[in-house]
Amino acid sequence: MPLRLTDDFKAKAARVCAAYPRKDAALIPLLQELQREKGYVAEEAMDALAAFLELPYARVKAVVTFYTMFNRAPVGKYHLQVCRNISCHMAGAPGLLARLREKLGISEGETTRDGLFTLSSVECLGACGSAPVLQVNEHYFEKMDERTLDALLDDMRHGRLRAADF
Amino acid sequence: MPRITIDGRPIEVEKGVTLLEAAQRLGVHIPRYCYHPKLSVSGNCRMCLVEIEKAPKLVTACSTEAADGMAVLTMSEKVKTARRDVLEFLLINHPLDCPVCDQAGECGLQDYYMEHSLAKSRFPAEDKVRRQKRRVLGPHLVLDNERCILCTRCVRFCSEVTRTSELEVMERADHSFIDLKEGRALDNGYSLNIADICPVGAWTSRDFRFKQRVWFLKKTPTVCLGCATGCLTEVHHNENTIYRVVPRPNAETNTWLCDAGRMTYKAVQAGDRLAKGVIKNGLIDLEPALRETASRIDEAHGALAVLGSPWLSVEDNAALARLAKDALKTADFSFDFSAEQGVKDGILINKDPAPNAAGARRVQAAFGGTSFAELSAKVASGAVKVLVTEARAAALLKDALKAGGARLIVFAANRSEIPAGAYATLPYASYFETPGTFINFQGLERRTQPAVTAAEGVKPLWAMVNKLAVYSGTSLRLESAQDALKGIDLK
Repeated sequence: MPLRLTDDFKAKAARVCAAYPRKDAALIPLLQELQREKGYVAEEAMDALAAFLELPYARVKAVVTFYTMFNRAPVGKYHLQVCRNISCHMAGAPGLLARLREKLGISEGETTRDGLFTLSSVECLGACGSAPVLQVNEHYFEKMDERTLDALLDDMRHGRLRAADF
Repeated sequence: MPRITIDGRPIEVEKGVTLLEAAQRLGVHIPRYCYHPKLSVSGNCRMCLVEIEKAPKLVTACSTEAADGMAVLTMSEKVKTARRDVLEFLLINHPLDCPVCDQAGECGLQDYYMEHSLAKSRFPAEDKVRRQKRRVLGPHLVLDNERCILCTRCVRFCSEVTRTSELEVMERADHSFIDLKEGRALDNGYSLNIADICPVGAWTSRDFRFKQRVWFLKKTPTVCLGCATGCLTEVHHNENTIYRVVPRPNAETNTWLCDAGRMTYKAVQAGDRLAKGVIKNGLIDLEPALRETASRIDEAHGALAVLGSPWLSVEDNAALARLAKDALKTADFSFDFSAEQGVKDGILINKDPAPNAAGARRVQAAFGGTSFAELSAKVASGAVKVLVTEARAAALLKDALKAGGARLIVFAANRSEIPAGAYATLPYASYFETPGTFINFQGLERRTQPAVTAAEGVKPLWAMVNKLAVYSGTSLRLESAQDALKGIDLK
């Protein structure tokens, strides 16, 4: 079913486009906007956005698939992204991942049945100084260990997401 | 203008010329995958790395403009090592498909491996990234993503030449692959060029796949007769069978070749190819067919007309003019075709589907004759009892023929070309089988060269005309195509 962009979105898009000399430069900010609205960028949304920006569909799809921060399928309420690059890896990221897998009963790329959690492993989050790092939605949780991880999961299960205290 | 040296040889080039182009002018071939002279520079394959003295790192020759005083080295140890290493990278995930790959023999990876690497792989075959193979994408192409080296020539072709932008590189790093919208076909009228420009076996032609190994193919330079553009082409054939037609890039008309033009060779070896004459609907041998045709012509007692054809060569049109003037002794003949000409899609395909309207006008200039409108009116009035023409040209007079009821005698190469109601049809050799002169929409002379030989008894059209004239009692003395060209100014 073809997706129709909302008037609200179109109004925002017009403002974003106005900030750039060329319309196609607005592609990434508008994809982010779409993801903010729905939590992910659906295939139909790429189609609609391509038509809106007068870009070939393949161009939009290429950008969405290039950047791993764009979700191409619905994600849970909390998107847990564990950094797996070298600093985090050496500081214990594999243990965090294993614990999350075990406690949530899902592996990377999957979402729990209650729709609460999606687990991903991601490339460097740029916070090596406080490894290992876990990103939940748009918040960083740094220097994670088993205790802080369990506490964080507990909080989220109760609908509270607050920056961990160190 | 920058003066540089390449491997010690000095050269002066205009501003903006890249090192790769400058080297080409000196006859130095720098290996490349992603660079294509008619596409934008991408610089992603890294195969064209060269050394510049006093520069800290190697640079890509395809994207570096020559600057005054550069001393470029294309064969230094550093460059050789770089080429070997780049090839190693490109081959890490390349499947060992060569024995079953259609590109083998004209593959950039094979060629450069032999030339620049010859190193044994350090990566086990079972660790190679696996991807989808044999994806049929559109009417003409098959994509094998495993073989792809992501040079993006195909992506740039679709966005810059056809401007259809179907293709893109999806995902990133070693997940990347070429893809297009799900459910969409790659059918932009020029898609087979992608199989040509693909430096590896990722894109192959559905028509050509597995028909013939490329090293068996013989190549004949000729001309595409698909429309008035008159692209230069090369016919690849073996043992009297044509396997494919590819473009012969040139500055005047074409770098590419459209899909329709590439398929024109199909008619030559189609099942309905005529080797005999046809009277009404029955096939009969050539000699009786000629005799029958000649007696119908004699019966008409001068109420005859001849129409040339923009699909025929200058020689064959001239032979038809001689037939009209010297054998049939009629003034009702026309070689006046004035279809609108010009490239209609901004790439190659011409508004005029016939290749030789300009050539036919040269014949008109040499032999005279009436205008097309006059001839058409005369045929419609019923004053013409027999009309001699070529099969596709007969369609131009369809309504007039219906009104006037003239008997139609046509020359045709394929049975499917014969217009309904034709009384007699005589076969002739196609321009893949016989030389012919054509004049394209720019007024450039285009000559076809035979790639294959015609079936026994099938002769060029001028020779058939010569025979027909003999049967009706006149000798035109056409012994060769050159005889037919006499008195015609091709310029």
